[in-house]
Amino acid sequence: MTARTMQAHPAGEEAAEAAIAHGASGMPTALVGMLLFIASEVMFFGGLFATYFSARAGVPAGAWHPPEPGHLDLPLAAVLTAVLVASSFTMQFGVWAIRRGDPGKLRLWTAITLGLGILFLAGQLYDYSQLGFSIADSSFGTVFYTLTGFHGAHVFGGVVGLTIVLARTTRGQFTARNHVAVEAVSMYWHFVDVVWIFVFSTIYLLR
Amino acid sequence: MATTTLEPPAGAPAYQRFWVLDWLTTVDHKKIGILYIVNSFLFFFAAGILALVVRSELAVPGLQIVDQDTFNQAFTMHGTIMLFLFIIPALSGFANYIVPLQLGAPDMAFPRINALSFWLLPLGGGLIFSGYLFGGAAAEGWTGYAPLTQQGGVGTDLWIIGLLLVGTASILGAVNFITTVFKMRAPGMTLFRMPIFVWTVLVTAVLILLATPVLAAGLIALFIDRNYGGSFFDPSVGGNPILWQHIFWFFGHPEVYIVILPAMGVVSEVLPVFSRKPLFGYKAFVFATIAIGFLSWTVWAHHMFTTGAVFLPFFSFMTALIAIPTGIKMFNWLATLWRGKLMLTTAMLFALGFISMFLIGGISGVMLASPPIDFHVQDTYFVVAHLHYVFFGGSVFGVFAATYYWFPKMTGKKLNEPLGKVHFWIHFIGFNLAFFPMHQLGLSGMPRRVSDYSPDAGWTILNMVSTVGAFMIAVSILPFLVNVVATFINGEPAGDDPWEGNTLEWATTSPPPPYNFDRLPPIHSERPLFFLTHGHGHAAERPADLEEDEAEDVEHRKGLV
Amino acid sequence: MRSTLRVGLPLVLAGLFAAGCMLPPVPKTEAGQDVFNLYLLVLGLAAIVFIGVEGFILYAVFRYRRKPGDDVLPEQLHGNNTVELIWTAIPTVIVFILFVFSMITLGVVEARDEQQEATTIEVDAFTWQWTFRYENGASQTGSPTNTPVLAVPVGEPVRLILNSLDVNHAFYVPEFLLKRDVVDFGDARGPNELAFTVTEEGTYAGQCAEFCGLAHADMIFEVQAMPRGEFDAYLEALASGEPPPTGDEDCETTIELAAVESIQFDADTIQAPAGQDFCIEFTNNDIVPHDVGIVETDFDGDDVAPGESITYLIPAMDAGEYQFICTLHPQAMVGVLTVGE
Repeated sequence: MTARTMQAHPAGEEAAEAAIAHGASGMPTALVGMLLFIASEVMFFGGLFATYFSARAGVPAGAWHPPEPGHLDLPLAAVLTAVLVASSFTMQFGVWAIRRGDPGKLRLWTAITLGLGILFLAGQLYDYSQLGFSIADSSFGTVFYTLTGFHGAHVFGGVVGLTIVLARTTRGQFTARNHVAVEAVSMYWHFVDVVWIFVFSTIYLLR
Repeated sequence: MATTTLEPPAGAPAYQRFWVLDWLTTVDHKKIGILYIVNSFLFFFAAGILALVVRSELAVPGLQIVDQDTFNQAFTMHGTIMLFLFIIPALSGFANYIVPLQLGAPDMAFPRINALSFWLLPLGGGLIFSGYLFGGAAAEGWTGYAPLTQQGGVGTDLWIIGLLLVGTASILGAVNFITTVFKMRAPGMTLFRMPIFVWTVLVTAVLILLATPVLAAGLIALFIDRNYGGSFFDPSVGGNPILWQHIFWFFGHPEVYIVILPAMGVVSEVLPVFSRKPLFGYKAFVFATIAIGFLSWTVWAHHMFTTGAVFLPFFSFMTALIAIPTGIKMFNWLATLWRGKLMLTTAMLFALGFISMFLIGGISGVMLASPPIDFHVQDTYFVVAHLHYVFFGGSVFGVFAATYYWFPKMTGKKLNEPLGKVHFWIHFIGFNLAFFPMHQLGLSGMPRRVSDYSPDAGWTILNMVSTVGAFMIAVSILPFLVNVVATFINGEPAGDDPWEGNTLEWATTSPPPPYNFDRLPPIHSERPLFFLTHGHGHAAERPADLEEDEAEDVEHRKGLV
Repeated sequence: MRSTLRVGLPLVLAGLFAAGCMLPPVPKTEAGQDVFNLYLLVLGLAAIVFIGVEGFILYAVFRYRRKPGDDVLPEQLHGNNTVELIWTAIPTVIVFILFVFSMITLGVVEARDEQQEATTIEVDAFTWQWTFRYENGASQTGSPTNTPVLAVPVGEPVRLILNSLDVNHAFYVPEFLLKRDVVDFGDARGPNELAFTVTEEGTYAGQCAEFCGLAHADMIFEVQAMPRGEFDAYLEALASGEPPPTGDEDCETTIELAAVESIQFDADTIQAPAGQDFCIEFTNNDIVPHDVGIVETDFDGDDVAPGESITYLIPAMDAGEYQFICTLHPQAMVGVLTVGE
């Protein structure tokens, strides 16, 4: 963007320059983009949830469970939920830190969040290895792996984003006035967490 | 009226890349727009040839030209390519080029994502077509109903992956357009001073953003069913075939509004300029567009009336309701013509053609909204007639209107008008010959997606007429192509504002410089350039516009975000 | 005035001509008559809208065309609340009329006559044929050379139970103004049903109307509506005329052949001895009916339901190469029968 786009009226010129430099008033442009992207992801998971509930509705009550000898590991899933929720808190601490102008704390909290995210993924993979049923085993298997699997893929995407943020903050690229990428990644991370809460509640609690 | 003078004057820039590399790596919305449009037309021709294969085979009873499998691939690919790789990208291309200009912005909000969105298209389209190289393209219809798709070969998998890429491109594009509209309007341009075309692109982008991901979920589920033993849709392993239809049409219905709304926007730009009057009822038009956007989510199961598995009254009612905002738009257009001074340029002819043809498509649509009538004509050529009147008579006419209207802005040269009119008339007559008989074919019971029909059915003559019309359409493309090539080589220079336009794209050079504007005119209404051309003192303008405070210009800039 | 006539008259004529061309077949079911009447109402409203709007467009193009050299702007009308309100109200009223009449007609179409017992017929749709199974156990499966016939009693309620053995199909008889999808819903719900009463004796063409793959266009059938007496006789003849499955132990040579999933034989070639009768023990492991036929001798074995098997006795053949097929799927299921010394 250049400052060559100017209003013919002098009064508007400074405002226009400011507008272009800082994405006008209100939310920074990149965050608007991230928000819209998250909206599309909400619809994507909506579609996946629709397949879950449709499969669920086709099975009589009491028969909705993994095919023998498979089983769900609720305690492990609960621990993973706690890990992810905690990581949202640590992410937010990092955002607050950089808003205060403290890149050191941002680096710390981002690293912790990244670690928790990787821990979640590792735990999910471990869970998969212990479950005793596959995606091809009954409609339960299909929707279970699809829903949790795509959520995991989104966590992975978030992990990539966190890694980039960590690298950039280590190089001192973020300041209090200029850290849109951190806000964007944190918004995405919170979204991933909220989706997990829905996934966990639906699969493990609602049944 | 030049508001952009190039300073420094244009000469050879100090650093210039090789033009191929320039176009391959560009992030300029104008070049990307042109890439979109050219790419779309290439796919248009490919899908058009597939249509000619279908029509040639159906001209007379008996399988003369292709076998059943080839025929099924032909209509599947025709539908898929036309919708996903021609119409939507073509309109996206015009939107890409024109929206930042109409907003007075220097580019889109995310130029690099803009480029990515484009390049995913030839990639996705290539994948979809590559089925032909691997034992056969997808052959289950563009709607890919399960469990039939379970049986398809590699071509079906390539179709799925290709569509996922194309869908991703759409979603990224939607993010870009919505952000651009909310963050990059020139000072003074409130939302209700945006050109109508921008409004239709905005609502379309919201539909794309929210509907396409649902298709993605369905396609992924289908892929899992086909390749990993999933049981989403296959009843023999506990799946539900109707689930596919729900997921597909929940996307599929907003999809058809995605296809038509930008074309309506184009028509709403062209009609006022060539009637020399403003669009009648601008605000009502905006609200009607938003209403259509909302309603489009509530009607999807009208594609499933004959499954016996949907609640008919609700979906019939909501479908009928959409006729109301659509009717409002139609009347707005007619009132724009009323007491205007019409200039029948080729762009105007295509816009008028749009209104006439879309009316017919809309009427057949209202008929289909009635379940008892739908029980008779669903899955027959009546539906094929309806969809071609709205997609072709509607959206494609809109694409051609946009082409003739904005070609001078993009290239600096006007397309030849007499040749354009030859194109229009052959196209218009061919189109009606091809598709009007299909109403009767469907009413008398000819199903769709059939490679052949009985000689005793009485359908032969109408099929023959339809085939003649199809070839006429193909022929009409020739004057168009000749026109485009000849104009590039030796066309009449257009200047900044050949049509006496109303909106900001005409306030800069043709083509615009990379940064779009040197200087913007003051923006006090939805027709900023009209004011510039005809002055504030025009008696017929509303006094309220003249009382705008300059300081208010910046205040209103805040917008919604 | 002249321009109005010049434009209006051809347009009205065109509109009437178009409307006259756009009619469903004369309905042959009771419900179909109501659908036809609804269609006439909708077509009438459509014709009015069509003539009005297209007429105005043509009128505007002639009447408001800019004269060359005229640079004066026309009146810059932005809107008019009253007019806009009126033309919002009019479509709303039209839409409501259409909806109400649609629902009324729908009620008629969907109604089942509870007083009279309906004749129930099971319809099995599979790629790419139909099997009709009647209450007395008689059934008929069609073939490419033998269009299946759905016999129904005229003037009495008929109830079809629509079963799909594989992908989605649709049961459509244009002259009934009726269709219904034939879907395997799995465990979610029971099969679709279609109820109607045919009003006139006759033979009516029917066809699958949901794209179901390769030979979708060939999936045709006929409905024959006949008086009750004839109908009963027809069913009896059908039931007794079914030959018992041939099982013959007088075979010196028995070839084993099976049909497997996705419409295929399990062997591309089979061998048989020349000059003597031989048997083919045919098992159907697919999910749709199949049979075995030999092209050059016109041998056409009986159809075998999924999961069943049969032993065909083939009369002695001369040495040579022949084509064996499934007569229900002749393009997809072909093989070579080598008859040698």
